[in-house]
Amino acid sequence: MTDTAVRAVRRRASVRPGGDRVRPAGPRRDRVGYAFVSPAVLLFLVFVLGPFVAAIGLSFFAWDMLTPARFTGVDNFTRMFADPLLYKALANTFVFALASVVTHLVGGLLLALAVNRAMSRALSYFVRTALFFPFVISWAAVALLWKYVLDPTFGIVTHYAGELGISTPDWFTDPAWALPAIIGIDFWHTIGFTFVIMLAGLQTVPKELVEAARCDGANGRQILWHVTIPLMSPTIFFAAVITFIGAFQIFDPVQIITPQGGPDDSTLTVVMYLYQKGFESFQVGYASAVSLLVFVVMMAVTLLQFRGSRKWVHHQ
Amino acid sequence: MVVNAVLLAVGLLMVAPLVWLVVQSVTPEKSAFSIPPEWVPVPFTFDHFGSIPDLVPFGRMALNSLQVAVISTAGSLLVSVLAAYAFSRLSFRGRDALFLVMLSALMVPVQMTVIPVFVLMRNLGLVDTLAALWLPALINVFSVFFLRQYFNTIPRELDEAARIDGAGHLWILFRMIVPLSGPALAAMTILTFELSWNNYFGPLIFLSTPEHMTLPIGLVALQNGQGGSSVVVFAAITAVVLPVLAVFLAFQRSFVASIASAGLRG
Repeated sequence: MTDTAVRAVRRRASVRPGGDRVRPAGPRRDRVGYAFVSPAVLLFLVFVLGPFVAAIGLSFFAWDMLTPARFTGVDNFTRMFADPLLYKALANTFVFALASVVTHLVGGLLLALAVNRAMSRALSYFVRTALFFPFVISWAAVALLWKYVLDPTFGIVTHYAGELGISTPDWFTDPAWALPAIIGIDFWHTIGFTFVIMLAGLQTVPKELVEAARCDGANGRQILWHVTIPLMSPTIFFAAVITFIGAFQIFDPVQIITPQGGPDDSTLTVVMYLYQKGFESFQVGYASAVSLLVFVVMMAVTLLQFRGSRKWVHHQ
Repeated sequence: MVVNAVLLAVGLLMVAPLVWLVVQSVTPEKSAFSIPPEWVPVPFTFDHFGSIPDLVPFGRMALNSLQVAVISTAGSLLVSVLAAYAFSRLSFRGRDALFLVMLSALMVPVQMTVIPVFVLMRNLGLVDTLAALWLPALINVFSVFFLRQYFNTIPRELDEAARIDGAGHLWILFRMIVPLSGPALAAMTILTFELSWNNYFGPLIFLSTPEHMTLPIGLVALQNGQGGSSVVVFAAITAVVLPVLAVFLAFQRSFVASIASAGLRG
C-alpha cells in the first residue's frame, strides 16, 4: 500500500505546472506491463487492427489480387447502392436474422419455462441434453445431415410428413421454401444455446416475488406476463442481441447446402455474397466495401445494445 | 403431465436426425435409406467406415483438426493470460486506452479482416498450410477480456502478500492467479477448442489440398466429390460427430456452464 501511495505522490509531483507531463516514476513498471501485453498487442496489430484498417483502405480500390490495385475513390460504395443482388442478400439476411430471433426467443423461453418445473431427473436430463447437443456439432456435419433429412425422396421429414397427410416441398429447389428450411435447421442447431441462456435467466427470478404474486391471487398467466417476463427482460434482451448478431453473419449452412445462393438467390446472405465477391470472382475492393457494411450493422446493433440495456430493460 | 409429454416429444424429435444418421451409417448399402425409415440397424455392418479413407484422407484430416485446435487453444490461452494479468494487475501508460481499443475490436466481424489476412498469408507463403488457421487464432480478444474480468474478482491482497514474500509477477500469475481461475480457464479452453474444431469459414478460405484439410471442410469435400455413396458420407459424418458427442456427454456440465457464462453463439 505504502509503495503505491509513494508512487502516486511521485507521479503527481512529476506533473509540471506547464502541463507537459513527464513521468519518470514508472519506467520500469511500464516496461513490465508492456512485456506482458506485448504478445497480445503484436498479434492484435497483425491479425485484427491492421487487417481492419486495410479492409477500409481496400474498399477504395479495385483489385483482383494479381494485377496492381487501382484507386477508384467511392466507386465501390456507389456500386453497392445500385447492386440489386446485394439488396437481395441484405433482405434475405434480415429475414433470416429476424426469424431466427423470434423463433429462438419464443422457443427458448417456452422450453426454459417448461423445464424449470418439478419433473423427474431423468426427463430433465434427457430434455436438456437433447436440446443442447446439436450446438456442439460442427455446422458442416449438421448441414450435410439435414440435406439428407429433408431430401424429397428418402428424407425422414418427407416420409413422416406424408404419413400425416402433409406434402412437403422440394426444399432447396423451391425459392419460397429454401430460406425457411435454413431457418428451421438453424433452429435445431442453436436452440439449445438460447434455452440455456433463458434457463439461467429464469433461475435469477426471485421465488418470493412469484409466491407473493400467487398469494395476491394472480394466476399462472398473470405471473408470467407481469412478474417473470419483466424480471427476465435483461436476459431476453441479451439473447435477442446475441442471436441477431450470430444470425446476421450466417454463412456455413447456406454455403454448404446451397453453394450458389439457392434457387433465385433465395438463400444468398450478405456474408456469402462477400465470400463470392472476394474469393470466387476476386473483386477484393468490392468485397471489402461489403464487409464494411457488415461491420456497420454489427456496430449499430452493439450500440443499440448499450443504449437499450440502460433504457428499455427492467433492472432490479 | 401434458407439458412433460410435450417435452419428451420435443426431445425425441431433436434426437431423431442423429439416430437416423448413426443407424444408416451401419446399415448395409442395399437396405440403407429405406422408406419407411429403418430405426434399428439389423443387419449391421462397419464396412462404410472402412471405405472413407478411399475417398478422403480422413485420418490425416482428423490429425490436422486436432493440431490446429490444440495449438490455437494452448497458444491463445497463454497470450490471453499474460495480457489479462497486465490489464488486471499492472499499471502502465496507455493501459486503459489499449484495453478499450482491443475491446472495440469485438465488434469487427471476422469476415471483414479475412481478406487482408488472406493477402498477408499469401505473401508469407502460408496459404494452404495449417499455420494460416492457427496463427490468427492466437489472438482472442474475447478471451483476454473474459479472463481479465475473472482476474479482477481475485482479491488483490493475495498478490500483495506474495509480493512482500518476494514473489515476481510471473510467479504470482502462474502459481497463484492461474490456479485460482480454474472455471474461467476451463470455459475458455472449451470454447476456443470447440470454435477451432468446428471452424468451416477459415479452412474454406485458406486450405485447398485434401491432405491439408481439417475435418469440417473434408466432410463437405467428401460429399461434393462423391465418388462413394451416401452411406459412406453418413459414416464420415458419424465418425466426426460421435467423438464430439462423447466428449460433450462426459463434460456436459462444464460445457453448458462455459457457454452460458461466456454467452457466445457459434
